[in-house]
Amino acid sequence: MAVRASRLVGGMLAGKKVVASAQSRLIGRQKRLRLGVGGCSGLRQSSRDFVSKRPTLHWMLSALVWLPLGFFVTDCVGNVKSIRGRSMQPTLNPDDSQWRDVVLFNRFAVRILHKYKRGDIVALKSPVDSKLVVKRIIALEGDVVKTLPPYPDAEVRIPPGHAWVEGDEPFRTEDSNRFGPVPLGLIESKLSYIIWPLNRMGPLGQPIVARPDATRGSPDWRKSKADLEREKWRNSRVTIAPSPRTTP
Amino acid sequence: MSSGLLARLWTSIRRTAQKPAVRQLPYRGLQLANFLCALHLFADHVATLSYVQGPSMIPTMAASGEIVLELKWINAQKLARGDLVTYVSPLDPTRPVCKRIIGLPGDVVCVDPTGTYAPSTEHVVVPKNHLWVSGDNMAYSRDSRVYGPVPLGLVRGRIYARVWPLTNMTVFPGNFDYID
Repeated sequence: MAVRASRLVGGMLAGKKVVASAQSRLIGRQKRLRLGVGGCSGLRQSSRDFVSKRPTLHWMLSALVWLPLGFFVTDCVGNVKSIRGRSMQPTLNPDDSQWRDVVLFNRFAVRILHKYKRGDIVALKSPVDSKLVVKRIIALEGDVVKTLPPYPDAEVRIPPGHAWVEGDEPFRTEDSNRFGPVPLGLIESKLSYIIWPLNRMGPLGQPIVARPDATRGSPDWRKSKADLEREKWRNSRVTIAPSPRTTP
Repeated sequence: MSSGLLARLWTSIRRTAQKPAVRQLPYRGLQLANFLCALHLFADHVATLSYVQGPSMIPTMAASGEIVLELKWINAQKLARGDLVTYVSPLDPTRPVCKRIIGLPGDVVCVDPTGTYAPSTEHVVVPKNHLWVSGDNMAYSRDSRVYGPVPLGLVRGRIYARVWPLTNMTVFPGNFDYID
């Protein structure tokens, strides 16, 4: 059934070479069937003529037919979206930017590989209203986190299978300090690369290092020092769980 | 001697590569990939047959394993108490889990009537956008008594009926009753 369907589809919407070979096969088949039941192949040929004479309909049907591949790519490999809001400033959408950041979302790492790392910027479904929010993973299971208000407890140990997510801008974010540790199953994709604007194009979620090439006192140097300080502050509030060691 | 053999091998490869069936192979491969993607998307978003196994839903489902029809095209707001839902386990993001809905958002639920995980008088209000789930075999089930209310964002589908074993095909009824 699959092969027949693909042959019909391929015949209808293929490029020139394949249409030529399919039509030659069809003409041969028509010759054989002229004396017998020719209705089905006649319908096929007339529908192919109909579509090939109307290029707009042709490309629209082509797009429709190849839609599953496109949906699969956006579902399991990655997609590109723009970020809204200020909860991840200044990493994303800083105040001095005229445009909303456009970022590459990597779904493969999360859906297929299930790789989560501290410091990753992820998009997750909020437990409060199931809407997609962008936050940073601060802590994974077993870690102890010093929380910020309005969380009721001063320290939280992350349960197994959960993560603690926070926005980089602590005053304008609805994050784990409001709804607590989130199950890893809510995390949908990892933000891996900023595509726009061009002056901040680059990978996301990497550990920040002090830039030795920037001249001391320049705006770049000050920005990288500020990023480093913020990262140190974030990491200072987490006590990473000791990983189990098998060697005595 | 060897160069003649190689030359013959090379010409035979080139001739095969020029055959129309072989030249269409990449396009046919792409069409096959497209079809498989369509199947995968159907299984993810419309309905699929799933293999369920485990003792936590005895007697509704056998522990040894059976095949059920899982509907994925569900409205999370239209779920009812007594429905069998599948969701990603809050303890392990790689494991799908199936349990029964006991409490909808806003309900006051008795945490553990058996008294194992909490005193049987303890009650909890199910927060907004969460579900309280419980296995039918409460003696051997890790459910909301262990990991608390489950966010609706984890819910993947609803189990509608058992299709295998064929002798035991049933539509799972909702078993929610009011006690006056």
